[in-house]
Amino acid sequence: MAAPSAPAIDPVTLAVPFFILAIVLEILLARLGKVKAVYEAKDTATSLLMGFGSGIAGLLTGGVVFAASVWVYKYHLFDIPMSAAWAWLAIFLLEDFTYYWFHRLSHERRFWWAAHVNHHTSQHYNLATALRQTWTGATAGTWALWLPLSLLGFPPAMIAIQKGISLVYQFWIHTEAVRRLPVWVEALFNTPSHHRVHHARNPRYLDSNYAGILIIWDRMFGTFVPEIDEEPCRYGVVKNLGDFNILRVAFHEWVGIFSDLLTAKSLREASGYLFGAPGWSPDGSRQTSTMLKAQWADMQTAEPVKTDPAAAS
Amino acid sequence: MTLKYIITQLVTLAILGGIMGLVAWVKIPRATPPLDEAEVKRRLAEDFPQTPLDQIWLALDGAGAVARSDDLALLLFRMGDSYVSRSMAWSQALQAQAIKGRFWFRFNDFAAPKASLALAPDWTRAAMGETI
Repeated sequence: MAAPSAPAIDPVTLAVPFFILAIVLEILLARLGKVKAVYEAKDTATSLLMGFGSGIAGLLTGGVVFAASVWVYKYHLFDIPMSAAWAWLAIFLLEDFTYYWFHRLSHERRFWWAAHVNHHTSQHYNLATALRQTWTGATAGTWALWLPLSLLGFPPAMIAIQKGISLVYQFWIHTEAVRRLPVWVEALFNTPSHHRVHHARNPRYLDSNYAGILIIWDRMFGTFVPEIDEEPCRYGVVKNLGDFNILRVAFHEWVGIFSDLLTAKSLREASGYLFGAPGWSPDGSRQTSTMLKAQWADMQTAEPVKTDPAAAS
Repeated sequence: MTLKYIITQLVTLAILGGIMGLVAWVKIPRATPPLDEAEVKRRLAEDFPQTPLDQIWLALDGAGAVARSDDLALLLFRMGDSYVSRSMAWSQALQAQAIKGRFWFRFNDFAAPKASLALAPDWTRAAMGETI
């Protein structure tokens, strides 16, 4: 058996010219009033520099992550050929399934949220926001979630290529320029509409739509929330950042965890601060997404039902 | 680290700089008209639901506000074309430093360490004089 090698193609590298052209096009079309898109200079600079830094961080850690995948592959259970169409279909589904759980974990547990939160710190939703990527993702270790695919027998290069395809797919859905796609597309795939909801901080929309390419996982596991025209998405995080400092964007949640750990009075508190839901606190004085959603639901129940006089007549 | 890699990174940075320049040139941010009380109430209600406001002080430039809710101060301040909110103890808010026409509020929060608002010069006195 030949030793597994690095992928011959990197979809993300190949897509970089497309990323640049698409961003420029979105900006120009918005300027001409042809599409809906909002760009603020400092916000855009922050997103682009986060993307640049993420590339460097990925270069520093990518070797270790790929080496781990190669090491696990030494013990693979089945021989899965890269040349078989069924193998690509299988890796497409399994990688997307893995991505769903990676993404859910990255939102629902603070240690991994600390690595992912930067992607959500923009109060804008445009193609540049897609590039606001993590600097600490590899450090958080979520890449380990993909190792079972190597153990199954998917060549590491195949997994890397599919991960790249998923990342490239997710670029174009970061836009307000596309409202809704045909029903069957919205039913099957992650779309701009579904992903706008994912980036929204309205309580109704929190912790939803974790999909990578296929939205079916959210529908299956109960995390799907549709975009409602009556409630426009407000982008960002529950407590937005106070400036555009990229070091703050990259590390603020890690600093928050460290500060909290210094005050922890027991192992339970320490583990809560590390692995509890973002917003967890020992005395409940802070709010988690679940608490915010419950508060919002209570308010909806308490408010009188609005009736449309025209409809009543 | 190869020369090719370094050149690639420099070219990438130049392209990103070009995009940043384009964004600055085309000027397509959100409109940020001066805040009024209704808008402050609407925005604070989003971030602090079920928190009644006793009094609101608008910044003179319309780019922020301080609101009092019992023993809490709710602050709203502009960042770019967006707004950020934070809360702090009312007593702490009253100790904001006034420097060159702006009041500086410091939060114990690495994600938003400080905010400055162009409040009226006698804001502290007016705020202390308010009765609930």
